[in-house]
This record gives sequence, C-alpha cells and structure tokens, in this order.
Amino acid sequence: MAGKIKQMIDAILARRADDNELLQRVIKTKLILKGINPAKYDEQSFDDPAIIARLEKMAQELCR
Amino acid sequence: MSIRIASSAKDTIDEAVRELKASFGIIDVKMVVFFASPKYEPDRISMRMQESFPDAAVFGCSTAGEIVSGRMLTGAVVAMVFDGESMGGVKVEVLENIGKRIDVGESFRSFENHFGEPMVEMNPSRYVGIVLADGLNGAEEKLMEAIGDSTNVLFVGGSAGDDLKFQSTHVFANGKAYTDAAVLALLKPGMPFDFVKTQSVRDRGVELVVTKADSARREVVELNNEPAASAYAQALGVSIDELRDYFPTNPLGLVIDGDPYVRSPQRIQGDSVIFYCGSVEGMTLSLLETGDIIEDTRRDVTEAENRLGGISGLIVFNCAHRALELANKRQSEAYGELFADIPTVGFNSYGEQFIGHMNQTATMIAFR
Repeated sequence: MAGKIKQMIDAILARRADDNELLQRVIKTKLILKGINPAKYDEQSFDDPAIIARLEKMAQELCR
Repeated sequence: MSIRIASSAKDTIDEAVRELKASFGIIDVKMVVFFASPKYEPDRISMRMQESFPDAAVFGCSTAGEIVSGRMLTGAVVAMVFDGESMGGVKVEVLENIGKRIDVGESFRSFENHFGEPMVEMNPSRYVGIVLADGLNGAEEKLMEAIGDSTNVLFVGGSAGDDLKFQSTHVFANGKAYTDAAVLALLKPGMPFDFVKTQSVRDRGVELVVTKADSARREVVELNNEPAASAYAQALGVSIDELRDYFPTNPLGLVIDGDPYVRSPQRIQGDSVIFYCGSVEGMTLSLLETGDIIEDTRRDVTEAENRLGGISGLIVFNCAHRALELANKRQSEAYGELFADIPTVGFNSYGEQFIGHMNQTATMIAFR
C-alpha cells in the first residue's frame, strides 16, 4: 500500500490552511519541526506504519 | 495613532521609570512592552512599571543587553508604548512552571473570552502574539509547539536573558516578575504588521540526518547513524578535538524552502552534541556557515519596510550570540545604527521564537 502519508498530510493542510499559501507554509514548517517533512512524501510513498502513527498524533494535535 | 519609545540607564528603578514615563509624554497608553537589564531588581521594576501605567497592559523580560533606535545598550531599560488607536486590543497571560508542564489551554480560553473569537479561527493577519520565555529552563520548543498546535496566529518573541551570567532570567507581567514562566501577549494592532526573521548563515550543502536524539535534553546522539560529534567533525573536515572551535561559525540548521532555523551547538558530551535548541529524530540538518550580520539584517529589515510602506514601531528579539559576534567584530554600533530611523526597542535573547524555537537569529515584529 502507498500514498496514505501524503493523504494524511494533505488533510491536515486542508483543515488548518485551506487554500491560504502563507498558512500552508506555516503548517508545513510546524510539521517539519515535529519531524515530518511533507516534501518527502508523494502518492507512491510506502505506508510506513511508524510515520502514519506519528501523523495520527499530529493530526490530533493540529486539528482539534 | 501613536507608538513611542524610550530608554533609560539611570541606576535606580524609580529614576529609570520616571525618565521613561517623562520621555513618552502624555498619550492614552494601552500597552507597554519593556526590556530591562538584570541590574534592576526584577520584582520591583515590574511593579513600578505597572504602577506607572496602571490602565495599560504592561509586560516584558530581563535581557542580555538592550536595543533602542540607533543604539545597542547595556545596563538600561527600554520600552515601547502603544496608544488606544495603535493597539486595538491586548490581553496578557502568564504560564507558570513551564519546566514541568505546558498547557496553553487556560491562557487561550482567556484570549478567546477577551476577543470573542476561538483561537483556531483568529485571522493571523489581524492578530499577532508576543512570547517571552524564561531563558534557562529549555521549555521553548514544547511551548511553541503547544501554541502552534492551537492557533494560526503567529507568536514571535525571545527568551529572557541575564547578561550572560546564566543564573536566573525573568519575565514580567501584572506588576510581578516570574521565573520558570512565559508571558503570552495576544495583540490586535490598529495597523498592518509584518515579521522579520533574519539570520546570517549560508548553507554549505552538507546534510546531516538526526538518527538518534533526546530532544527534551537538546542532545543529538547520532547524525547519519554515526556518533554525532564524529559526524559533525567529519562534515567540517576537522578532528573532534577541533570541532568546538568551529561551533560559533558553523552551526547546524533545519533549512525549510531555503529558510534556516538555526540550531547552535553548545558543547560536546561524550559522543553526543548538546545544542541550545532541540532537534527531533528524522530531521535533516544542514551544515551552515556564518556571514555578514549587518548586511543581512539591513536587507531583511529594508524588505519588511518596503512590504509595509514604512515602519512606525519595531520590536527586536536579537540572539545574544549574534550580539557577542557583533561585539567581537566591533560592529555593535553599526548594528544599532541599522535601526536609527525606525522607532525600535529590543533585547539580546537566549533563544528566539518564530513558529518554532531557534538560535543565532533575530526575530522582529514590524508595525506600519
């Protein structure tokens, strides 16, 4: 399976930044500071369970 | 609409506060932000500042040197005041015991009650936050993460200093002084505002991935799956014995879209490197090289001035490490002069905040 990580990142960005480019950059920076770099993941990226678990936690923190 | 600045280097708190107040003249003061040398007894200067402006929100912190338009100072207090037109709204909260636990919930509820909007929905182009944290308890990363999780409003600031004694730093609010605490101020300015985040470093194109770290202790244990000190030295092409000599000029940084978030190394501990700022496992850090602080700062402040069409007030949170470098290069005067034509106050800090926590940086809030 592949692509789930990008989907999760896109969902966080949509929830917190809508189409606002400046906010998208800010949220991406927050994700990188938490240890996940959105630029490293695309539709073909392996669904790494450890990364998915970290993103689930981040989604909880960022999208309460 | 009025923003005014003042400074005083008087020896007693009463004289200094009196001089500040006299310099401002009579305006309808809504907010006072001040930065005070540790030569002033913390509880007393906070109390006297609040007493002098009883109807205003008054907050600030201790410093490792102060900045006012045109000059870098030591042994002084600097302050910026906003009248009711220039500051539409302001609410100040204090988070205590941040070394043990950080929960911004209560403070954010207070902001929401004050401004009548949920924090998560506040428009970041209308609101701005100032964060001033104890500079010695290493809690800034968690603090900034907690803030950033709950709002899109940007909180910008610095960590309090104590003239490089590294014994005790203070934040001020409500007429009191606090340690192990952070002041959060949420502002709704009456004019447009912008930010400056400036650091004088170049990416040397060498990447080091953090493969093992204790971020709470700001310890990087391994880089590229090798002992951190060894990998860092190897990236520089020097021996481990020589590595510490390169710390001031070759920090590491998280480079995001070309924008560095600097992590300054503090010391080697065993095979690890302890930094002044935490890094998490999986982070890719770049080897950096310091450049020309004067020219880089001039460029970044001028760009902000051009974006805004002028600056009527600038608050500067300038890394104490930069201040030391400027002093060593005899450039302190030139740095102060960068702000000669802009109403400016600021201080030399033990860490800077902008989205996250970082080092060797100056973060600024510019009001049009």
